[in-house]
Parts: sequence; structure tokens; C-alpha cells
Amino acid sequence: MSTVEIKLSRSNRIYRPSEPLQGKIVIKSSSSIFHYGIHLTVNGSANLQVRGGSAGVVESLYGVIKPIKILKKSQEIRTSGRIGSGTTEVPFSMNLKQHGEENLERFYETFHGADINIQYLVTVDIMRGYLHKSLSATVEFIVETDKADLLERPVSPEMVVFYITQDTQRHPLLPELKSGGFKVTGKMSTQCSLLDPIAGELTVEASSVPIHSIDIHLLRMESILLGEKIISETSLIQTTQVADGDVCRNMTLPIYVILPRLLTCPTVLAGPFSVEFKVSVVISFRSELSKLHKKSDPTTPRLWLAMETLPLELVRTN
Amino acid sequence: MEFRPRNYIAEEESHALPRSRADDHPLFAPSTSSNHHKVDVVDHESHDFFDPLRSPAANAVALNKDVEDGESSSTVSSEAAAEVSVKEWTTFKRFLMQKFPVSKMVSVSLMPDVIIKTGKANVKDSTTKHLKELDDPANFAEEDVKVITGQEYVSRLHELKDEIKRAWTAEDRVTSLKLSIKVARLLMDTSVLQFYPTLFVLVAEIMDMLGNLVWERIKQKAEFGEDGSRLCYLSENFKEINICVEAKETCNNWFCKVGSVRELLPRIYLELAILPCWRFLNDRPANSLQRLVLMTRGLADPLASVYCRLYMAHCARKLPSCDTGHLITSINDIKILLTRVLSTKEAAHGKSVDNRRLLVSLMEPTIEYIMKCIFKDASQRQVGTVLMELGLGRNQVELFGSNPCVSVVLHHLLKELPTEIVGSYAVEILHLIEYSNDKSYDQCLNYRLLGFRLCERRPTLDILNAAVDRIIQVVTLLDELDDFLKVVDPYVDIILQNQMDNHLNTILEGISERACKKEIVDNDVVGLQSILMKILSHFKDLEDVFALGHFLEILDVMYGSSRISIDMQILNMATRNGCINDPTTVQLLFEICQALHDGIDFVNSKGDDYQAARLISRFVLMVDYGAEMERHLTFLVECRGAFGSINELKETLVHSSNHLATKALKDGRKHLSFVKSCIAFSEVTIPSISDHIRQLNLYIETSEVALLAGLISHSDGLVDSAISCLQSVDLINGSLTPVDVDGMVTSIQKLCSLLVIVPGNPELGFTHTLKSILSLITSQSWITSKIKIRISCAIVSLSATLSQNKLPYNADLEILSNDLLFYGDSSYVQELLSFSEHVLQNLVEIIEQEPSGAARGSMALEACNCIAASFKINHNIQPVCSKLIETAKSNLSTNDAYLQSTIKVLDKHLPTSGISASTTI
Repeated sequence: MSTVEIKLSRSNRIYRPSEPLQGKIVIKSSSSIFHYGIHLTVNGSANLQVRGGSAGVVESLYGVIKPIKILKKSQEIRTSGRIGSGTTEVPFSMNLKQHGEENLERFYETFHGADINIQYLVTVDIMRGYLHKSLSATVEFIVETDKADLLERPVSPEMVVFYITQDTQRHPLLPELKSGGFKVTGKMSTQCSLLDPIAGELTVEASSVPIHSIDIHLLRMESILLGEKIISETSLIQTTQVADGDVCRNMTLPIYVILPRLLTCPTVLAGPFSVEFKVSVVISFRSELSKLHKKSDPTTPRLWLAMETLPLELVRTN
Repeated sequence: MEFRPRNYIAEEESHALPRSRADDHPLFAPSTSSNHHKVDVVDHESHDFFDPLRSPAANAVALNKDVEDGESSSTVSSEAAAEVSVKEWTTFKRFLMQKFPVSKMVSVSLMPDVIIKTGKANVKDSTTKHLKELDDPANFAEEDVKVITGQEYVSRLHELKDEIKRAWTAEDRVTSLKLSIKVARLLMDTSVLQFYPTLFVLVAEIMDMLGNLVWERIKQKAEFGEDGSRLCYLSENFKEINICVEAKETCNNWFCKVGSVRELLPRIYLELAILPCWRFLNDRPANSLQRLVLMTRGLADPLASVYCRLYMAHCARKLPSCDTGHLITSINDIKILLTRVLSTKEAAHGKSVDNRRLLVSLMEPTIEYIMKCIFKDASQRQVGTVLMELGLGRNQVELFGSNPCVSVVLHHLLKELPTEIVGSYAVEILHLIEYSNDKSYDQCLNYRLLGFRLCERRPTLDILNAAVDRIIQVVTLLDELDDFLKVVDPYVDIILQNQMDNHLNTILEGISERACKKEIVDNDVVGLQSILMKILSHFKDLEDVFALGHFLEILDVMYGSSRISIDMQILNMATRNGCINDPTTVQLLFEICQALHDGIDFVNSKGDDYQAARLISRFVLMVDYGAEMERHLTFLVECRGAFGSINELKETLVHSSNHLATKALKDGRKHLSFVKSCIAFSEVTIPSISDHIRQLNLYIETSEVALLAGLISHSDGLVDSAISCLQSVDLINGSLTPVDVDGMVTSIQKLCSLLVIVPGNPELGFTHTLKSILSLITSQSWITSKIKIRISCAIVSLSATLSQNKLPYNADLEILSNDLLFYGDSSYVQELLSFSEHVLQNLVEIIEQEPSGAARGSMALEACNCIAASFKINHNIQPVCSKLIETAKSNLSTNDAYLQSTIKVLDKHLPTSGISASTTI
């Protein structure tokens, strides 16, 4: 029995395009094997897929759109020869982006969304002739923007002030809510480093109906250009509760949301697709009605909900 | 047979030890020269062994060395501090669990599946299920209220703790975390109220465990490489810069994982659990606390919120250094929460007053703990800052402004404030208490606490005066006795110690006014007890206490065990300083005794009441009317009437009356009729004592007194009574202990020695009394053969003594004793002789009948000694003696010391040396 495995030099598997992808190929074999060469291939692509969302029936039939190639490189690590029995480690180092070399595409950061998947894979292949099955292994590595390419300007510390009252809501509200009124104010950063939490604060200034919960929803909006049409889909990444129950009035509550890795990336506005983020503050009021709709999408406007959605630009910083 | 003639005076002289004058008293302090010598020795010794308390210099050197060794002393102290905080936390947890014990049943409205399921197999299953529910917690809402036993709940939590640990050891850290989140989520349900503290303690333990596991894991990553090689050694106060990227990465992942928990409460708990891990990421881990404390504001439920803050205070102590800012924010937020709880309309949430009280009492321990943390080693300046930040002080000088504080918070603040602050700001604090009056805490208890704090360290007199003046004004407005007592109690100490007599009067008047207004209850009595006890222990002289206005009135309204304690304390004081002369005091104390007597069931009395009986007896004994002896006797009569059920007291009464009689006798014979009354009193009193030995002794004592007064017929009667008392022993007491029997024999011997001086009664025969005693020997079942021998010997010795021409002692010159009455009367001696002979015969028979050899031997020797001392050893007696010695020899070893000395005595008294010669054959 022979197995092959790729071990990357970094445990978090994060590499920047200017950095060489390093690691070792670990081959375990009970007997010595002959091969026609050990090849290493790196592959990077943005896979786009259309389903649901604003896509029509026809579009969704197309399903997968042709992926956008970002990177494809291959390298022979060893020429043909023999590998002894036991464990053999073959170190490798491979430049992702050669200086002066023309790239197929920008190195978008790794991102796993609902419709858009930006993924980088490294594959090892050991060819063993006709009689033997070739050995191969694939590992995903994560690409983050080069430090050199990062924004020069610091993340703006400015915050957007928001206020939510019965009058700012565009959907129908419970009558008692509409008549009694409520007011929740706050501020939040709309530009945010991926390494930092989303910061902000909010205050319940008044509410005639007791509050059940206040949540911060982190949303992503994936848009794909399909022909002439842009198809967008918004989906929920993470919900973070900031108030549980009918909190005291006029007490400032902090907003502190740590961004989940892999599920977020710097906001991308590429030609064929874009990945954007939004934050939505949702206040749910205590209501008998809410119990009847247990499984509803929390971002759908309801009679007992009040919300405010703000755009969020995510950036990579040092 | 013939009695041996004795010359007691000559014998005494010949047997007396030679005396010589001593130069100095053996107990006097030794002379200075020897003293000096001793000091030398001590000094010399101190070099030989290490006494940590006596050589500070050596110790200091050792300490310095420690510091130089690199591991700075601060490390040691921080470790020690950590230990202290762990200990305090453990104690606090125990206190919480005890204060709110797990009730039998817990009704849980949102029964979480973690608790319901019991099998381990479906852990994974439920985890996934739960994660789905996580997205939609409303799922639970409609579930019915379920009831499980508290014990089940607790044991399920213990199981979960084990599961988390097991998953961790199996490298399945994700499961560990998921289960921990579920456990933390349990604290969201506060409907369990009474059970919440216990739940909190259990969950906190699990959180702490997880926190430790994570800490250890990251520390491991920081100290060792993947291959197990050591990268570095993290000291106690390591810096973020020392941590390798991998460890930071892992640590960051943990915070991300925890940060992604949707619900606020479990998210805060979990971050707190791993709070110390912030140290791997930055050097100011305390910064997170400021954020966390603000996040906690999002928990609207007051109970969940305060316990979360409690856990925060606990976790914050795990950080190396930490300011109190977050704690103060916590307290300020708790104040807002409490204000909200207190102001909610009762009907609004269907919360009754009781429920609210329960809620506040559940919240209270958290305030207590946080307050403690705030004032831990706070300097005076810091205290000023704290007070300002708590919204109380205006500046560093005006520490207590005019802003009210929630009273339960104020209570715990007051508890923790340094004594100096309390002392210097007593009046300001009083004002603060005055306007901090809400339903969260009894205002009276805050006044009371201030009093106790003031007692710890006295402030200056002018502050004290102002404070007490103010308190007096406060209490005069209180209608309820209970409130009044609660407030006044600690101030009584202050008032007493500073001689604020007018205030003491006001307080006593206030108490009596309120106590008389309506029926007082048990609670009040306890309060009264405390105050009266303080007054009693302050004054040295009982008369000063009685002179206090209203003291006796207040005493009168008391009842029960408190009353008994106070009465006993009074009696204790009264009998401490010698005689009680003042008739008014005697009367008062008598009434107190009566109250005490009525309060205790002496018939079924046990150990505690013995004390009361002893005190009453002691009081009776201490009363002294001086020359008014008649009155004293009347007093004794009254006592007998009043305290009839105390046995011990009756004995005292007899002693007292006998004492009274002898005192009267010293004045000559003019009080003879009074003496007769005393004796009559004693005579009447004795039979009511249940214990026969006591009766016997008292009869003998009284008889002695009667004899002293020359009342021969009384004395005779009393001796008769003593003997008849002996006769009835058998009838009443079924079994006597060996000690009782011993006492009885001693008393009989004492009776015999009394009979030496009692004049014989020719009408009844000189040996009438002796015969009665002798008849006892045969009739009483408790008298064993050994005792028979001892009593018989006593009788023989008595007969021999009575036959002498001059008795060894006399009662009084005025009473003629037998030696003078029957001097040279041969019939008198003859009667004694024949009686003795009869006794002797009995004696020998008894010895012969004794089954046990050893006993027979020693009995024989005893008899033999007695015979040798009483009779001339002639041909009548010698055979008896020989026979007894034979018996002894055959039963005892020849080396027996008693046997040897007895043979020696016999030899000495023997006119011809016959016995030893004849017996050696």
C-alpha cells in the first residue's frame, strides 16, 4: 500500500500571492516504488453558480456558469526515479505569482459563499506507468491579499449613525407598535477590517412594546453577471444577539461582532461577479404572533420586527 | 474482755510530727542571683534551635535571598493571591448553595434537551439537532412546563461535565465546546428562581473547567513545538511577544468560535471562561472586561444579568492585574436593574411582593461578592474614587453627596468600606442611609450595620456624638419594637462605652414604650436579650443596672429562653461579688429567681437547667441579712415555698439555716428560741430532699448544731431520723452505685464519731443507738459483707472510746458528755463490753462466711486492727486475733504489707509474745 499526502508549511494554510507556497509531500509506502515523476499543480478559480435569488427559471436551468480561472501552474518536483520503502518526504516550494508574469486574473481572496466559491487547490500527482494507479492528493490553501497591495489608507474610524423608529420601517407593523412607538438609536462602523470585529453601539431609548431580542445579522450579497443581467442573492452568514429581553432604556449596548473566517472576504467588485456585505440590526418585539412563525427567515420583514440594514465594506489590512 | 484504756492527749503528743521553722516560703519568688543565672541558660539555648519568631534578622536575610533569586517576590505573592481568590470563590460557592438549597422539584419551562436525555449514545445526535434549534430558539417556547427533581438536574450537569472532559481528552474539542455552549445556555432560563444559584455554581464550574483546558492547551502550544521540543518557558507574568504564531492562531480561533455563538448569555459566559487566554494575544487583557461588562447590559433578565456579572468578577480575578472599573460599572448597572425591578408595577408581570423579595434576595449575594472584589486592598484614595464613580461622592473630600443609593447595594457597600472611612464619615453615611430607603433592603438593617461598623474602630467623640444623636432621632420615629431593637442594638455598645447616659435612658424608655404597647413576639425577645445582655455585661454593679429606668419593666415583658438567659446573667452577677445585703436587691433577685424557676421545668430538668438551679442556690446562699436573723430565716422559709422543686436548693436552705443557728449561738444563749426555730426549719426541710445520702448528712449536720446549742433531745431526735433515713434507703432506691454506698458508709462512720459526744440516754439504754445501727447491717440488702465489717469496726471503736475516762473531744462545756455522766459507772462499761462482744462474734462470723478468699483476708486484717486498738489483748481476745491472722495468712501472701504491719501491731500490744511464735508453726 502506498499513500501520498501534502503537508503545507503553515498550519493555518494562509499564503499571499507573492509568497512561495511551501511544504512537503509525504509518501508512505510498504515497498519501494518506481515513478515517472512527481508533479505539483496549483489551481485557483472562482466558481459561479446561479440558483434561486433573483435568477429566473430560465437562468437557473443553466446552473453552473463557466468558472473563472485565476491561476493554473504545474511543476515537476522530481524526475522519474525510485522511492524507497517507508516514509519519504519531498519538500517543495512554488511561486504563486512570478514577478513580471502575466496573470490570468486578480488573486481574489479565498471565499466560500452560496453562489460564489473562490478556491485555491494544490495537487500532487505521482505517475506510475500503466500497471499501477497513479498516486495523488489535493489540499486547499487559503489566499489572502498581498500586504503590498493593501489599502494605504487606514480603515475609516467613522461610524454611521442610525435610528430605528416606527416611521423608518417600510413594512407593516403591529398596531400597538405603530401607535405606541419605539426608538432605537446607535452607530456602527461601515468599513471594517477583516481582522477586527464590527464595532458599534445601540441604545433603546423608548419602546411601548417590550423587546424580545435585538440581533445583528451579518449578510452577504453575491452578484453574478449573467448575460445582460446581474443576478444577486443575499444570504445570512451569522446572527449575533446584543440584547436578550426587554433591556433597560437609555443604556448603551455595545455591538461587537467577530467576522467568521472563510465565510467573509474583502468586498469584491469584479466584472463578472461581486461579493458584498451588509449588516442588519433587527429588533424583535414580544408578540404572540411571533410564536406562530417559528421557522421564518429572521431577515424577512414581519409585523413584530423592526430593522435597519447598513452596507458593510470589508477590507484586508495589516 | 477489757477495753484498752487510752490517753488521747498523750497519744496525740507522741504521734505528732516534729516541727521546725522554715527559713523562707517555698512559693516565694526565687532570689535575684538564681534568676540571673536562669536567663543565661535561656539565651544560650536560643542559639541551638531555630525559632522563626525570635530571629527576625535571619528571616529577613532569607527573604532578600528569595528576591535576588530571580523569581521575584511578586510572583510568589500573585500566586498566593490566586490561591486566596480560589479559596474565597470555593467558600462563596458553598455559601450560595447553602443559602438557596435545591428544592425537591424544579419546573423548567424551556426544558433543554441536554438535561432531558440521559444516554450518552445520542450526544452527537442531539448536538446537531440543537444546532438547528439554535437558529430558531422560538422552537422551545411553546413547550409545556416540565418538572424534574433538582437532584436529577444536578446529576445530569455532573454527567455533562464528565462528557465534556471525556470529549476533550479524546481530542474532540469541538464536541467539548458545543456541549459547553449548551451548558451555558441553561443559565438563560431564570424561571427556576430558587434553583438558579445552584445552577449557576454548577455551570460556572463547567465553564472554569473548560477555561482551564483551553488555557493549558494554548500554553502547551506556546511552550512546545509540534514535535514536542520546548520552545520557551512562560513565566507567571509572560508577555504577548513571547507567544509563537501557532499558539496565537489557536487562541484566536477559540475567540472566533466563542464569538460566533448567537445568544448573548452563553457567548459572554464562554468568553469569560477563556478570558485569561486574552493574555496570549495582547498585554492588556483587562480591556476585554470593559466591553464584556457593557455587553452584559444586553441581558434584560435581572437575575441572569447579576449572576453573569458575578461570574465576570470571578473570572477577572484570574487576570494578573486588573482595575476595578468594570466592577464599578457592574454595580452601577445593577443599581439601574434594581431600580427597575423595584419600580415595576406588581401586576405588570404577575410578580407578587414575595416574588420580588425572593428575586432581590437571590441577587444579593452577587452584589456582596462584587463589592468585596472592589474593596479588596483598596487604599483610602482609591475608595474615594470608587465612591465617586458609584455616583455617591462629589469629590475626594465629599465622599457622600446627596444622591441616594439602592439600599441593598448600600448595605454591601457599607459592609466593605474601610473602617477609617466609616468612622470619619459616619454622619454623612447616616444621611445616605436615610434617603436610600427602598424596598430592596430593610433600612433598619443598614442603620444597624453602620452601628456595628462604628464599633469596630471608634471614630472621634464629636463624630460619635453627632451620629448617636442622629440615630436617636431616627429611632424615635420607628413605631415597631422590632425595628427599634434592630437599629438600637449596636449603638447600645457605643452609648455604654462613652457614658452617654441620657441616650441610654431614651433607648430604654423607647423600648418599654413600644414593648408595652402591644404583645411582643419571639423576635423581639431575642433583640431585647441582646441589648439587656450588653447592659448587664457593661455594669459592674447590679444595683446600678436596677437603678436604670425601665430596665425592670423591660425584663418583665420578656419570656422564654431569652428571659432565662438574662435572669441567669443577673444572678451570675449578683453572686459574683460576695454577700447580698440590700433588702431591695434581695427582693428583686428573689423575684427574678421566681421567674427563672417558673420558666424552667425542674422536674424534668437536664444539664442546662442545672446551671439555673445552681445559680438560685448560690443566690440563696449569698443572701445575708446581717443582724436581722429572724428576717433571714423568714427569707429561707419563703425560698422553700417558692423553689420547692429544686432539690439542690433545699440542701442549701438547710445549710443556711444551720449556719444561721450557729451564728446566733455565737451571740450567747439569748437567741435559743431562734436557734430552735432554725433547727425546726432544717428538720422539716430535710425529709423533702429526695437523695438519702444528702438527707443523712444534713441530719448529722443539724444534729451537730443542735448539740452545740445544748438541745439534746433535738439532737437525739435528729440522730434517730438519720438512722430511720438509713433504714428507708432500701425501700426507695432499688440500686445504689458503689460511690453512693461509699458515701453512705462514710456518713455512718461520721455518725459514729458524732455519737462520741452525744450523752447516752439511760432510759433507753446507753447502747440504744448503736444497736439501731447494728440492726441496719443485717436488715439492709445493699450492705455487703465488706461494709458490714467496716460499720462493725466503727461501732466497736465507738464503744471502746465511750468507755474511756476522758473522751477525745467534747461538744460544749455546758453539756455533760458520757465520760462525766458515767465516770466510774461499771454497769455502763459492762453494757458497752457485752455489746462489743456481741458485735465481735458477728464480725468473726461474717468473715468466715465470706466466700472470696482475698476479701476474707483483708476483712480479717481490718477487724484485727480494730480489735487490737480497742481491746486489751488478753486470753479472751488473743484467740480471736490469732484466728483472724490465720484467716488472713491463709488467704493473702505472707509478704502482704498490711498483713505484716498488722502482725507488728499485735506484737507490740501483746503482753507476752505469743501470737507470732504460735502462728509461725
